[in-house]
Amino acid sequence: MEVSTITAILDTTLGVVLTFVAYKTGQIIWKYTPYSYPNARIRAMEARLLSDQRIEELAESKNLQNFVVNLEDSDYGERLTSIEKVNLKNIELALELSLVDLLELMVKIMPKRVKGFFELLLEEWDVRNISNIVKAKLSNLPAQDYIIPAGRMYQKVKAMIEAKTMEELLVILEGTEYEEPLRKLLLKEISLEEFELELYRLHYQKLLNYATSRRGEEKTILLEFVRLLIDQKNISSVLRAKSASMPSEEIKKLIIEGGSLSKVTLDAMINAEDPIMAIGELEGTKYGEIIREVREDIEQGRLDTVEIALRKFMIARMKELAQFYPLSVAVALAYILEREREIRKLKAVAKLLSDGIRAEKIKQIVGEVA
Amino acid sequence: MEPIVYVALGMALGAGIAGAASSFGVGIAGAAAAGAVAEDEKNFRNALILEGLPMTQSIYGLITLFLIGMAAGIIGGGGFKFAEPTTQNIIKSAILFGAGLLVGLTGLSAIPQGIIASAGVGAVSKNPKTFTQNLIFAAMAETMAIFGLVGAIILIMSL
Repeated sequence: MEVSTITAILDTTLGVVLTFVAYKTGQIIWKYTPYSYPNARIRAMEARLLSDQRIEELAESKNLQNFVVNLEDSDYGERLTSIEKVNLKNIELALELSLVDLLELMVKIMPKRVKGFFELLLEEWDVRNISNIVKAKLSNLPAQDYIIPAGRMYQKVKAMIEAKTMEELLVILEGTEYEEPLRKLLLKEISLEEFELELYRLHYQKLLNYATSRRGEEKTILLEFVRLLIDQKNISSVLRAKSASMPSEEIKKLIIEGGSLSKVTLDAMINAEDPIMAIGELEGTKYGEIIREVREDIEQGRLDTVEIALRKFMIARMKELAQFYPLSVAVALAYILEREREIRKLKAVAKLLSDGIRAEKIKQIVGEVA
Repeated sequence: MEPIVYVALGMALGAGIAGAASSFGVGIAGAAAAGAVAEDEKNFRNALILEGLPMTQSIYGLITLFLIGMAAGIIGGGGFKFAEPTTQNIIKSAILFGAGLLVGLTGLSAIPQGIIASAGVGAVSKNPKTFTQNLIFAAMAETMAIFGLVGAIILIMSL
């Protein structure tokens, strides 16, 4: 072979190999590197999640002061120790705000390409605050008592508290996506329940749109997360509406689009005779197994066990995804869900302590609400 | 290309690609280590060990650089042995180039090793008892780099 032929073959091979390797390497680095820092930090935070034994110790706190002292060295310490007057309301607020702190931390540390999702999750407090203010104003109750100082539009929320009339609320919300539902409510085109649902519908739609706009495994994980949230809300709404003997046409208005349950399944649930029949329609779906486990409770009219089972399913699914994609957004989502569950447990312990319930009973009840 | 260019490229790519890959690997694992230590400084020791694993590929690259240099006469005196652009010299310098490229490309295993170490830092922060297992998982990626170095040594010795 000629020398020039050999060098030409070598040069071409070198060019192709190096281009391919550079492209693939770049892809891998772009995909995983941004999750390195946040996910390791979240894993370290997971080590501080309260064990069942710790929760049982908290149940033996005897009073709310001891409860706060026992949590001083935990992730809730900062918020709890800043409470001026220890009472149930302030403890619940501090626990709630620690979840807000967590989401704000996620916004800071998560990669740019997914941090918007956590910003949207923070908007849930806007929805809750707006809904609570409107409800309080309509019932002539002090709105201040029903808000949580959190969310992306807290300034507007504060202005809403000061508003004297419902029309003022509308002016404050002008230009936001919440203006239209409030206008419909004031014109009596929709009920208060429908108004609240409309706010949640907007919120879920935003989450869904964001998830759909992502790529690759981020899209897969975020879409699954939002769909599970919507399913949870829909199943819960249908069961509660069924147990309240609401007509099918009314129940249909409660459904939020975008979940993973098919229209056929949801329609069958809506048209079922009672909650037990409705839940039966979930057989054959991914919720079939967990629903079977709580069937007896449903027959006894305990619909909250379905909600607990659905939340557990969601955590399990996110943890599964976090194991499958260790450097992905699933780790953060699974952790947020676990912290939510922990906060729910702590709120239950605090409530039961303030009611003077015995430690043994508290342990039993808290085990059930988790 | 002249034979000297192939030999020089072999030395540069062997040490360069492996070194760059090591820096990416250490960077990925290092970011995870920073995250773990930010939450609890007790994680420092375990994180440091896992973070250092992807560094070895750069050492293999450096060893290869010296071996190629010595085989071609660039290092150790005597001058460049394949200066004449004959077919045989082109082939010999291409073999040295291949040895360097082999170590460079297998040295890219430092990047996935950094990714594994990064996930390992997280896992160890959550449960320190899993340190040994995570160390083994990350060390597995090293195998490819070792194969590359062995292959390069065989190629160089064939001259």
